[in-house]
Amino acid sequence: MSCDLFKPKLSAYLDGELPDDERRSLEQHLASCPACTRELAELKRLSEDLNMMRFKEPGDDELQRYWAGVYNRMERSIGWILLSAGAIITLCYGAFQLVEHLVRDPAVSVALKIGVCALIAGVVILFVSLVRERLVLRKVDRYSKEIER
Amino acid sequence: MTENETALLERCQAGDRDAFGPIVKKYAGRASGAACLLLGCPQEALDASQEAFVRAWRNIGRFNSSSPFYPWYSTILRNVCRSRLRWRSRHKTVALAEGHANPSTDADPACLAERHERRDRMWRALVRLGDPFREIILMYHFHDMSYREIAAALGIPIGTVMSRLHSARMALREKLAGDTS
Repeated sequence: MSCDLFKPKLSAYLDGELPDDERRSLEQHLASCPACTRELAELKRLSEDLNMMRFKEPGDDELQRYWAGVYNRMERSIGWILLSAGAIITLCYGAFQLVEHLVRDPAVSVALKIGVCALIAGVVILFVSLVRERLVLRKVDRYSKEIER
Repeated sequence: MTENETALLERCQAGDRDAFGPIVKKYAGRASGAACLLLGCPQEALDASQEAFVRAWRNIGRFNSSSPFYPWYSTILRNVCRSRLRWRSRHKTVALAEGHANPSTDADPACLAERHERRDRMWRALVRLGDPFREIILMYHFHDMSYREIAAALGIPIGTVMSRLHSARMALREKLAGDTS
């Protein structure tokens, strides 16, 4: 058989991940093919070099700074959630009060009443649209599924 | 996973933020290194790995505390890095103007434990590989994951893991040869 059939299997053979029947047939081929044997040796050297590489472990001070960075972000994320929720509630309440006040006040011109109502309706439509988009994205986002593994 | 780590993770799930500290410190080096390999920039890697820890904390209630933490965390980290790479490719001009490294030209092997010419060359070649190749080499050689574990984590068949890892090594060999010549 041609080397092209065996070459893609060399990595899996090297890693001990090739099924028994394929391993036996590859070993038979290797016994009579110097080109594939040479390629296997090169792959082995490359793989050994990669296995020798390790990531640096940070020192105690670096780790302390790293954790402080993570902790601050965790704290801030709660702050952002509260700030957003508070802003939404306050704005909704303010908008409701404003509309009620404007509609009931005969001194305010009809044009201004229509303008303010259109402005608030626009903000509400945009907000609902954004929320809906986020919900749809969440359903198809790989991240949200993978996180439950 | 040690018994101590299981206990810490259970405390995290009960809302104890201090219990998350030892977990973060244990995996910080590995996480920053992995992000560095995926993103090619040590500064951005630090930021991405911290962001992934914050996301892990926010979702800690959904984590199965009887399984090991790092594989779960590394999935989150990979997604954070993928989003950043996607963002970077969409806003290439902005990213470069803001000082984000271009992996193909500015690969700093600062996150490697031991440095010498041969390993630095290997790192530069690794960072110049395509995203899926870097990812699979990271999983197999740096995270010591089996083909089966990689297949499960990436949601691909074992045969694809086999061919992708082989293609990644071939591409790496080519880059190394190109670097020498």
